[in-house]
Amino acid sequence: MKPSKIILFILLSGAALSFLYPFYWMILASLTPEAQIGELGIVPKELTFSNYTQMFSKIPIWRSLLNSTIVASLSTLGVLVFGSMTGYALAKLRFKGREVLFFTIIFTMTLPFQISLIPNYILMVKFQWVDTMAALIVPALNNAFAILMFRQTFKSIPDDLIDAARVDGCGELRIIYQILWPNIIPTIITVAIITFMSSWNDVLWPLIVIREEHLMTMPQLVTLFAVGGRAEPQLGVKLASAVLLALPIIVAYAIFQKHFIRSMASSGLKG
Amino acid sequence: MGTKDIFRTTFLFLFFSWAFTSCSKDRVNRDNELLYWSSNNGGEIQFSNWAVDRWNSAHPDNLLKYQPVPEGQSSEEIILAAVVAKTTPDIYSNIWQGTVEFYSTAGILVALDTLEGFIDFIQQRCDPATILEITSGDGHIYQVPWKINPIMTIYNKRLLAEMGLDTLPQTYAAYMDAAKRFKKDTDGDGYVDQWFGNTSVKLAWYQRLFNFYPLYLAASGGMPLIKDNRANFNNEYAIGAFRFLQELYRENYFSKQDQSAGQDLFVAEKYATKFTGPWEIQYLDRFKREGFEYGFYPMPVPDDHEGPIYTYCDPKSIVIFNTCSNPQLAFEFVKTMVSEEGDLEFLRTTNQLPRRKGLDSIPDFQAFFSQNPQLQVFAQQAKHVKGVDNCEVLTEVFDIISQEYEACVLYQIKTPEEAIADAERAVNVLLRVKN
Amino acid sequence: MSAPRKKRNPLRRTVLPYFVVSPYLIHLLLFVLFPVVFSIVLTFHKWNIISPMEYVGVDNFLRLFQDRLFWKAILNTLLFLVVHIPLQIVVALTLAYFLTQKLFIRGFFRASFFLPVVISGVVVTILWQQLYGMESGVINRVLTSLGLGRVEWLTNWRIAMISIAIMATWKNVGLYVILFLVGLQTVPISYYEAADVEGATAWQKFRYITLPAINPTIFMVVILSTIGGFSLFIEPYIMTGGGPLNSTLSAMLYIYKQAFEYYHMGYSATLGLFFALLIMLVVVVQKFTIESDD
Repeated sequence: MKPSKIILFILLSGAALSFLYPFYWMILASLTPEAQIGELGIVPKELTFSNYTQMFSKIPIWRSLLNSTIVASLSTLGVLVFGSMTGYALAKLRFKGREVLFFTIIFTMTLPFQISLIPNYILMVKFQWVDTMAALIVPALNNAFAILMFRQTFKSIPDDLIDAARVDGCGELRIIYQILWPNIIPTIITVAIITFMSSWNDVLWPLIVIREEHLMTMPQLVTLFAVGGRAEPQLGVKLASAVLLALPIIVAYAIFQKHFIRSMASSGLKG
Repeated sequence: MGTKDIFRTTFLFLFFSWAFTSCSKDRVNRDNELLYWSSNNGGEIQFSNWAVDRWNSAHPDNLLKYQPVPEGQSSEEIILAAVVAKTTPDIYSNIWQGTVEFYSTAGILVALDTLEGFIDFIQQRCDPATILEITSGDGHIYQVPWKINPIMTIYNKRLLAEMGLDTLPQTYAAYMDAAKRFKKDTDGDGYVDQWFGNTSVKLAWYQRLFNFYPLYLAASGGMPLIKDNRANFNNEYAIGAFRFLQELYRENYFSKQDQSAGQDLFVAEKYATKFTGPWEIQYLDRFKREGFEYGFYPMPVPDDHEGPIYTYCDPKSIVIFNTCSNPQLAFEFVKTMVSEEGDLEFLRTTNQLPRRKGLDSIPDFQAFFSQNPQLQVFAQQAKHVKGVDNCEVLTEVFDIISQEYEACVLYQIKTPEEAIADAERAVNVLLRVKN
Repeated sequence: MSAPRKKRNPLRRTVLPYFVVSPYLIHLLLFVLFPVVFSIVLTFHKWNIISPMEYVGVDNFLRLFQDRLFWKAILNTLLFLVVHIPLQIVVALTLAYFLTQKLFIRGFFRASFFLPVVISGVVVTILWQQLYGMESGVINRVLTSLGLGRVEWLTNWRIAMISIAIMATWKNVGLYVILFLVGLQTVPISYYEAADVEGATAWQKFRYITLPAINPTIFMVVILSTIGGFSLFIEPYIMTGGGPLNSTLSAMLYIYKQAFEYYHMGYSATLGLFFALLIMLVVVVQKFTIESDD
């Protein structure tokens, strides 16, 4: 190796360390007895699981994990199902108002969510959806970004394929889900990862519409646990809850790393 | 696309939309049963169960349903959400005195003084000052004062003894002097690592209820913040309290560390004192190390202070919502819950003080306190406590004070005089706009 | 179904597309159009959710213009952006440039930079609150061991927002590294080779070959971080609650507080509407400036 490469390698290692070490520290600290967290360096002196057992007794973390999984899965499913329907119609069907709809969708993407936050909350109140999972799922079933992704992908699929299916007597929904879906797996993966992650990581909306502890999503519960007094002044317990919140995503990321990066990058490109 | 497809599409969406609404809210059937919510604090749940069981066995025809408030963000928010969704209980027992006016103005509470026997009951339970405090701006009473947790100074006995203090630092001067001697850099790294005290540096309005407000009440002998719909606090007492706190922070006698961010430094014996309430007793019993000894004494006061030392008591009340089908019956239950016997049971199970007059003259109570000397101090203090003023926008008043507190006390960019004057001005604007 | 399948009913053909888009239309109506209209209605009202709405004319707007705290919150948000965006571009571009070199375990580096991007902001914030700790925070311990003084990361009002901007950069930079990497790889190597023949300096190569090629990427990074930065909420909500001295009070946090701490729904909607218009304005201006720069 050339010396310049070695320097580069050292620089990159330093950068990588600054991204990884904090997570390492957090996991280690969550396993360290409270009194020793302050002096924690690289190697632990003593490991304990008590931060976790204490946390389990204080907040229904497993329940919130389940809630988050339900909410994120159903939202993702909805976005895939409905997003591909609308995207398909925009790409392949002719109807009056199609262009208007298309530009409306673009417009809604530029519309900051700050406008609709309060009215949406009030809508939830009127529907009596406050403190129900409906408030978390139903507004998330459609998403402009997914529609545009699907529209773009469907556009690249030749009409012949669809016409052939129609001749065979397929309904439009069967065309979308049985004929077209197998051809657009990368788009589906991208939309699924983006939707799932943004649903999984969202805190602001759950904070607003969910007040009952057993309905809270995991990030919400951890936020309230960390901000509110219930962690009591115990750092390890707080960090344990944060570790548990990060873990599912870390594991998924470790396995599907390439998909994650590709999806997020393409979402950035499309946004 | 066949008709089937169209049906399927529509169905799918409707399914997603309604599936969750149907299963999520189990509405309580309350044709004849009254519903009572307590807080979700362990001791209070235990007490409420006791009170409800006792009522139900004595009144089989008028059974009461009980549940602790669903756990969540804060009980205030839960109640508000319930009000909005019209799922309020009939009786709720843990409402902060300061928010009662907000709800009564919105017309969702039962005016209790319209119920039979309430006036006699309240006069028997409370002294005239308390009754005045809980009477709403419209002349009605919407709450039954239930419990208090007075704020006092806790101190570490060993640390104060090692300093050779023979009397507790009760005045501002004595406290400041002790603080000066206590501040130290024990490990010699150039940074102070032991402080005489700590109180929340967070900006949240309610944190001022546990530092500035009790100091103000102590100094002023219990003067209100708001009087005749105007700010009443631009006086030497509020300014003095600000100056006292400001000096503690400026000289680094108090730590600016957020107490909830890391470890508890009072338990770790890095703080010698702090301002807190009786809940600290049970907390310390769980977390203190062997041989850790502590005591309580009233809030520090100006050097020329005379007379009793008041403090803030964090009062919680019982209210009846106007969705209640039988307010009189609900009130009858509340009466049994806060009877002498009920209050004693409450005291035993929760270690919190009932808000009734003569706490230390009832024999059963005396017996309890003599076994619980730490609580006895609070029972003594309970004779000189204040709640908060009846004001619909109290939260915002405290928020304004909190802003000035931060600027003056924590960051010293305003003098106490300026800060208090600015707060007074802002509060007066607020009160004028509101009414 | 009475009609034969293959003969398509003309009525059905015109109606069918609307059925296909109906889920989205319902969504659009309920969660986009209604809120926009309702928020405009709300701006003329005073409402605390539990009492009836009260018409107050333009009071909310008058109040907004006199509300120093709101303006401070906007300035804070802008300060955040001013620190965050350049920092993000410089760090992301540097790391991306390093990664264009053929190196051992390059994939690992890329993956590690990207890790914070996928992790919840809640975790990152709780973690950094500890890293930023005054006494036992990892960063201050490193600084003191290097013989440098401690920094009051979150307790000094001049520094706190910058600390949050650094943290946000740490969290997001991995995404932008990838975007720049894609941009950098579009530049044909022959350009650089030609420049070498001409004897161009490294700076000239960067200025005249690399920069034009990644200009669209820079534009995108600016727009994305601007929109992201304007919704800054959870970081100050967890770390500082908006303090010290309101220095980390972001506009979103203030809007949230107005609505859900004071229950000023009308006023909060006014702030939200105004703030949304401001965001659109800033983005349009950015677009205009950067594009006319070419």
